[in-house]
Amino acid sequence: MAERLANRLLALRAERDLTQAALAELVGVSRKTINTVENGVFVPSTALALKLARALGKPVEEIFFLED
Amino acid sequence: MTTSSDVETADRLSRRRSRLLPVLALVFISGQAMYFGNATQALRTVDTVRISAWLVWSIVLLVLLATGGGFFRSKAVRALMEDEVTIEHRRRGLATGFWAAMLTAIVIYPLSIWEPVTAREAIHIVLTAGIGAALPASASSNGAR
Repeated sequence: MAERLANRLLALRAERDLTQAALAELVGVSRKTINTVENGVFVPSTALALKLARALGKPVEEIFFLED
Repeated sequence: MTTSSDVETADRLSRRRSRLLPVLALVFISGQAMYFGNATQALRTVDTVRISAWLVWSIVLLVLLATGGGFFRSKAVRALMEDEVTIEHRRRGLATGFWAAMLTAIVIYPLSIWEPVTAREAIHIVLTAGIGAALPASASSNGAR
């Protein structure tokens, strides 16, 4: 069965009232990267997932999860 | 240290690059006919200049493909322009270019039995197909804010 990496990035970003650009600045990536990760278009590397988790103050598994 | 202006600048430049790459491919592919047709005749100075200019143009495009450009920008902006998404798009573009070049070479090889093709023409066609296919495939899409 094909599994897809889903995420709660949009909800967590909205909770903290962060724009994509603000989160991009915190993580040190482009806004395009945040946008594509958020929309599930791009699967981030482990390093980027950990950076996002650190920036949002959440464990990485609370942001990213497998979806059937 | 990444600042908001760096992120904005990188975004703007990345969008510009995404728009520019397909246009460059179109310009590069169009007008190729002028390079063919008189390969058996002696080259005039103007032909040599034209062929050399095309080679330089090809090398410039290959450097742009391989590096993403932005040489005159700050290190922080270049790092933002070379993030994971861009590298993934470049990988896809280079793979597309490679297969386009291989397929073109495969087609030229048997065709040369009926229609003689000089080495220069064959290299020209393969390079054009490879670069022409890689450029638009390397262009990344930029989603809405």
